[in-house]
Amino acid sequence: MKEYFKPVKRREFIKKSVAGGTVLATAPLWKLFSYSHPPPDMASNPPIDLDKETLGKLLSIALQNGGEFAEVYVEYNVSNSIGLDENKIRAATRGVDMGVGIRVLQGEKTGYAHTDDLGMDKLSETARIAGLIASGKMKHQSVSFKERKSPNYYLVKTSPDSIVPQDKAKLLWKANSVVRAYDKRITQVYASFSDTNKSIVIANTEGIYVTDDQTISRLTVSASAFENGKRSRGYAYKGGTLGYEHYDLLAAEELAKEAGRVVIAMLPAQDAPAGEYPIVLAKGDCGTFFHEAIGHSLEGDGARRKSTCFWDKRGKKIASKIVSLADNGTIPGKRGSINVDDEGTPSQNTTLIKDGICTGFLYDNLNARLMNTKSTGNGRRQSYQHYPIPRMTNTYLMAGKDDPEDILKSVKKGIYIKSIGGGNVSPTTGRFVFSVPEGYMIEEGKITTPLKGIQLMGNGPDVLKNITMVGPDLEIWGGGTCGKAGQGKPVSDGNPTLKVAKITIGGARIRRS
Amino acid sequence: MEYQKIAENVIKKAKNLGVDEAEAFIESNRDFSLRVRNGDVDIVKQSSTKGIGLTIYQDNKLGFSYTSDFTSDSLEEFTKRTVQLAAVADPKPWNGLPDYGKEENQKDLNLWDPSILEIVDSQKIDIAKKVEKIALSCDKRITNSSGASFRDAESETIIANSKGIARSFKTTSASFSVSVIAGEGDNMQSGGWSSSKRHFKELENIEEVALEAGKRAVEKLGAKPVQTAQVPVVFDRYAAGSFWRGLLSAFNGDSVYKKTTFLSDYLNKPVASKLITITDNPTIPRHVGSLPFDGEGKITKENTLVADGILKMFIYDSITATKARIKVNTMARRRGYKGTPSAGTLNTIVKNGNISREKIIEGIEEGFYVTGLRGSGTDTTTGTFSVGASGFWIKNGEIAFPVDGVTLGGNTTEILKNIESIANDLDMRGSLNSPSFKVSELAVGGKR
Repeated sequence: MKEYFKPVKRREFIKKSVAGGTVLATAPLWKLFSYSHPPPDMASNPPIDLDKETLGKLLSIALQNGGEFAEVYVEYNVSNSIGLDENKIRAATRGVDMGVGIRVLQGEKTGYAHTDDLGMDKLSETARIAGLIASGKMKHQSVSFKERKSPNYYLVKTSPDSIVPQDKAKLLWKANSVVRAYDKRITQVYASFSDTNKSIVIANTEGIYVTDDQTISRLTVSASAFENGKRSRGYAYKGGTLGYEHYDLLAAEELAKEAGRVVIAMLPAQDAPAGEYPIVLAKGDCGTFFHEAIGHSLEGDGARRKSTCFWDKRGKKIASKIVSLADNGTIPGKRGSINVDDEGTPSQNTTLIKDGICTGFLYDNLNARLMNTKSTGNGRRQSYQHYPIPRMTNTYLMAGKDDPEDILKSVKKGIYIKSIGGGNVSPTTGRFVFSVPEGYMIEEGKITTPLKGIQLMGNGPDVLKNITMVGPDLEIWGGGTCGKAGQGKPVSDGNPTLKVAKITIGGARIRRS
Repeated sequence: MEYQKIAENVIKKAKNLGVDEAEAFIESNRDFSLRVRNGDVDIVKQSSTKGIGLTIYQDNKLGFSYTSDFTSDSLEEFTKRTVQLAAVADPKPWNGLPDYGKEENQKDLNLWDPSILEIVDSQKIDIAKKVEKIALSCDKRITNSSGASFRDAESETIIANSKGIARSFKTTSASFSVSVIAGEGDNMQSGGWSSSKRHFKELENIEEVALEAGKRAVEKLGAKPVQTAQVPVVFDRYAAGSFWRGLLSAFNGDSVYKKTTFLSDYLNKPVASKLITITDNPTIPRHVGSLPFDGEGKITKENTLVADGILKMFIYDSITATKARIKVNTMARRRGYKGTPSAGTLNTIVKNGNISREKIIEGIEEGFYVTGLRGSGTDTTTGTFSVGASGFWIKNGEIAFPVDGVTLGGNTTEILKNIESIANDLDMRGSLNSPSFKVSELAVGGKR
């Protein structure tokens, strides 16, 4: 089996996989990939070259009933994963998603249709269905596409898709042995490496023609421990828009040690106390807090529909003066980083809150147009099966001036949040809840007992006013997949050390007083 | 069918490559949805998707891949690659296709309604417009709409494997929903409701759904946190789902085998109050949670997980059952063609009690009636239950005021044992169905 996945460049793979398309009765779109294709060894050459004439034809069909705007989104996505469990490589898996989504806009109306059947007749039919929402006369004139080039924010030299799974397995074996050696109370270890490699083409009636190759990779190590009837779990990960060159045995070892540290630290954890407490959020891994509690309420669709708690707050003070918040898709290598969004708009750095004042919202094209403003490069979609909506990229609280040690010392009795796990929010009320995989009591300014079952509960507007200290030590870390309106999208977030003067903690323990 | 043939051809190709066992799983969907906002159609979306997932076992090694490219050359390449992927894994003696043994014949559960294909667009738009209009106008305090939608879908699921299994079923579904906002400024609440059925004719009354959405937005206006307290808590039937979902994930047989769940040692022991009986029954005709065969192609049947408080079975798919050397009815769930099956419930029902919800509330001097839960809930490792909650404060047996921004916390096994009464208000709406129930005491976290 040694020829398996001999480092095939993704471009070549696309070319290979489309060769089979000729069995279709009509010329499949994918065949077009192979025409003006660069030699496979020139991976850095222009991405997918689509036949612009075909794209133009589809746009015309989409607008045959009228409508102001049409767009074709083409996607080819290869996902790989490999996992180690119970001292064995469980499986290596691979998946291919490909399809075309066609969108038509008229006023506030969106028509969307997609297909994974890429024969020209099926594509034409899809374009026609997308255009059914429009009414009126065809105004569309044929477009000449301008190719839009954007700076590159991905740190990808070696595509993880070109690495044989046997090599990725070596990282998992390393992590497995390091975690197991970390402490004999560790009973289970799970390690995985996954990557998605997406190539997209976006063409629209405004003449925009954009291609992008989006690689996201991740190495995860998790561990379970058991002692005297007590159980705990811990995990650590590294990931982002990163090529395989960012992963090696040393990285696997570091993650393994971190997972081991967390699972052992949390083994003696006690029930968290319920009630109102000050909290200190550790730098880096608590940014989800801002993503959920604030960010979602600053997305342009909710602002336009007046359905979020901040819709009318632009230019107004919504936070204490030390609070500044940004969404920035241009940080190299982060999980939420993008060269262009899924409408072809270049990625941006958008300040959402500056010194406590609400300065902006996150927009896609549709909501921006209806609000007489410009897209902020946040029109994102999960796949060709979805139309774009305003989404965050990398969201973070900006650095402040308070000494992290002073921040901790200022708390007599409170909770130290080392990392934040899953969370969710209702953008209407701003009400949120988060789970906390690693948290501790703070007593007299010192971190003491580990706690399990911590939930942070509150609402965005209140929390913003209660942020009383912010450190200078901003870090943007890891991240995950954000779900909104049934669409999952990779994001990252971050924060410096900070203090929230009071927040509701959920836990199983009640103070009897 | 054409897809059936494709699945069987892929199995044939794999066999020709000399694999021990192979399974192909195909899913195809057609989905139409539209949304109306403030009386106008806002979004219309039409989807068609398909995909095949191929599982290969070679020398007890597992290989898996999926693709949505069904052209025949691609499927050839796809099959070869999957066989090669199997070589990367380590052998596990328990890997392999299930033992189907003696099974009943596949039943027609009446999950397909041809009339759904005949609903014209104007009728769909009318339903969405009407449900929104009624919800917006049912109360003066309702200020805005987040939209109303209608959706209809059909899907086909096919499974074929080298043991000669070749099964398929089709489903349809139709649903509509509405979400509105009540209040203004700093006092806004949203509320929504929906109806979803396999058969178009069974959809609930438009007016009832609209009024429920309106009521849910308005009744929460002015909701506030309460003081931290330990009080009796009533879980509303619709809020109870996330509590049970968290508990059921701790029933995972593989986690039990690995001893990473707090329920590991509870088999055949009392785990809950005697009032609790939990079954899984995916064989109810026309129900949204029903399906004739599970993620491994096994004919589904009813299983009892908890009987009168005693934990009767953990949940295994055939591979984890073989591994744990346990003989049980396996239950495998599959999230589409993009993954392998895993142990999971299909259509879970917590048995109805014999007292009304109102009666339960009447009997509480001071307590919390929970109608909304937020967050992940149960930590399956430690058994700690901790969530955000909203609902109503109960005083002297009556609903006193709306509550939001509080948390509930406790130990799952203690909560289960402290279930004092179960209401008779079971409503089979989804794939996890529960009546309301009362827990004698639980920590409500709020203000100091």
